[in-house]
Amino acid sequence: MTLEQLLADTFPVLQDIQQTDLAQLQQEKDWQSKYRILMQLGKKLPPVPEKMKQPHLLVKGCESRAWLMHYHDKVADKHFFVLDSDARIVKGLMAIMLCLVNGMSSAELAKFDLCHKFDQLNLKPYLSQSRGNGLTAMAERIKACC
Amino acid sequence: MPGFDVQQFRQQFAFFQHHPDWVYLDNAATMHKPQAVVQAELEFYQINNSNVHRGAHQLSQQATAMFEQARSSIASYLNAARVHEVIFTSGATAALNQLAFGLMHTVLQPGDRILLTQLEHHANIVPWQLHCQRHGVIIDVVPLTPDHSLDLQAYQDLLALGPKVVSFSHISNVLGHIQPVAQMVALAKAAGAVTVIDGAQGVVYQQPDMQQLDCDFYVFSGHKLYGPTGIGVLYGKTTALQLLTPLLGGGEMIEQVSFVNTTFNKLPFRLEAGTPNIAGAVGLAAAIHWLQKFNNKQLQQHKAELLREFYQGLSHLKAVDILSSPVHNAGIVALNVDTEHPADVAELLNQQQVAVRAGQHCAMPLFSRLQLPGAVRFSFAAYNTLDDVNRSLLALEQAIEILTA
Ligand SMILES: Cc1ncc(COP(=O)(O)O)c(C=O)c1O
Repeated sequence: MTLEQLLADTFPVLQDIQQTDLAQLQQEKDWQSKYRILMQLGKKLPPVPEKMKQPHLLVKGCESRAWLMHYHDKVADKHFFVLDSDARIVKGLMAIMLCLVNGMSSAELAKFDLCHKFDQLNLKPYLSQSRGNGLTAMAERIKACC
Repeated sequence: MPGFDVQQFRQQFAFFQHHPDWVYLDNAATMHKPQAVVQAELEFYQINNSNVHRGAHQLSQQATAMFEQARSSIASYLNAARVHEVIFTSGATAALNQLAFGLMHTVLQPGDRILLTQLEHHANIVPWQLHCQRHGVIIDVVPLTPDHSLDLQAYQDLLALGPKVVSFSHISNVLGHIQPVAQMVALAKAAGAVTVIDGAQGVVYQQPDMQQLDCDFYVFSGHKLYGPTGIGVLYGKTTALQLLTPLLGGGEMIEQVSFVNTTFNKLPFRLEAGTPNIAGAVGLAAAIHWLQKFNNKQLQQHKAELLREFYQGLSHLKAVDILSSPVHNAGIVALNVDTEHPADVAELLNQQQVAVRAGQHCAMPLFSRLQLPGAVRFSFAAYNTLDDVNRSLLALEQAIEILTA
């Protein structure tokens, strides 16, 4: 498995999450259904092989670990990401973060306000508990890519 | 003595009135405080606040008397031989750091050994590591048996290597298992070692009797004994405390200071540099006074009943892997759901307002031995109810359903 392959496999999944799952997540009324969707999202993403989970890619949460890989297509100025986490809910939430920034230009990524966007999607409550679960750290890592 | 009325007990905790919808099962992390403790701290600041041991005025003398009265209450609770054997620290961690630092050179020389166990909290590992590495002291570790108890045969074999210091926890903060501390102290003493007990989880389970237990040091934090945060105790026998080099230097711990030589004050002040947490000490003494109004046997029986019900309920749930043994258990159950990540389980419980802890609980060496990424920990206190048990079981069932759907 190479980064190119992973990127190629991840890109359409993130697109799909943005186009279909996000809307569905917002429609769900009860927390059980929301969490079922979040966990499905995590499952949809292709897993990163253990060998590729290098220490410098690690984004540490208090209780779980996540890995972020990044590719910048300099010619087209587009940023692409690959993600994995050992906890499914966190992975689902991180997948949402990624689908929002997937394919952005450097300028777009620099301007992007994740907190605001999560608020719009009614996902703010998840972010507010994020100091422990690594979401804030992941958001910072994503921003640092531009 | 009349039976234990949990509702009446629970009513003394304002926290639960503010959070009627929550099931709080994170007591091993910190406990809630009865009104008696909150009131004692409040009154100290409102009525008695002054610095201790230094004011020429009557107000300071009053505050000093309260602070020393707190020390004396705690000494008598622990059945310490002398009041000055109770040293106030900011908590168990600070006490263990003082011990690891303070025993170097006086007791521990390069090439010497100390003995810890596989299931220690990081607070009883890292301070030793920090100082042992710098001073060339070797750390040995007592392994676990397959049922996750301490391997007492291996303990004796390791004692035969002649460690100068042996330090172990009274109760495991992950598994809840009660260690045979009396036996372990006796064996360590027979081997000539200085004995340290990390009582962070133990002190609330059992009123520790220092003269009976006969250990050299016993440490704990107030906040896991219904008391305030930021206060803890380093108990030491007088002869043992005299071996310690002070970790902190500053005011109040000295007798004479010049730039040529400084001589230290007597115990306990020698080990209490700076202005102490006066209100915290008063609050901790209030917690102990309050706790002594109850029969601890009844409190522990109530907790044991909760634990029994919890285990009973768990036996009906599929996919649960329990790490804690129900016997010799002080009220902590660590478990996993299949191969699900503990953080996921805890988050689904959090959504249902059940407060537990997930992860490695500051005991990474234990989890690497268990070859697990962590566990979900349910820890009970005497103010928990059967309703808490039932609600947490229902919530866990729901979490399992979502996770394994
Ligand atoms: C067994 C044990 N030792 C030491 C500590 C450290 O206590 P504190 O953080 O209050 O200093 C804890 C707290 O979790 C503990 O459970």
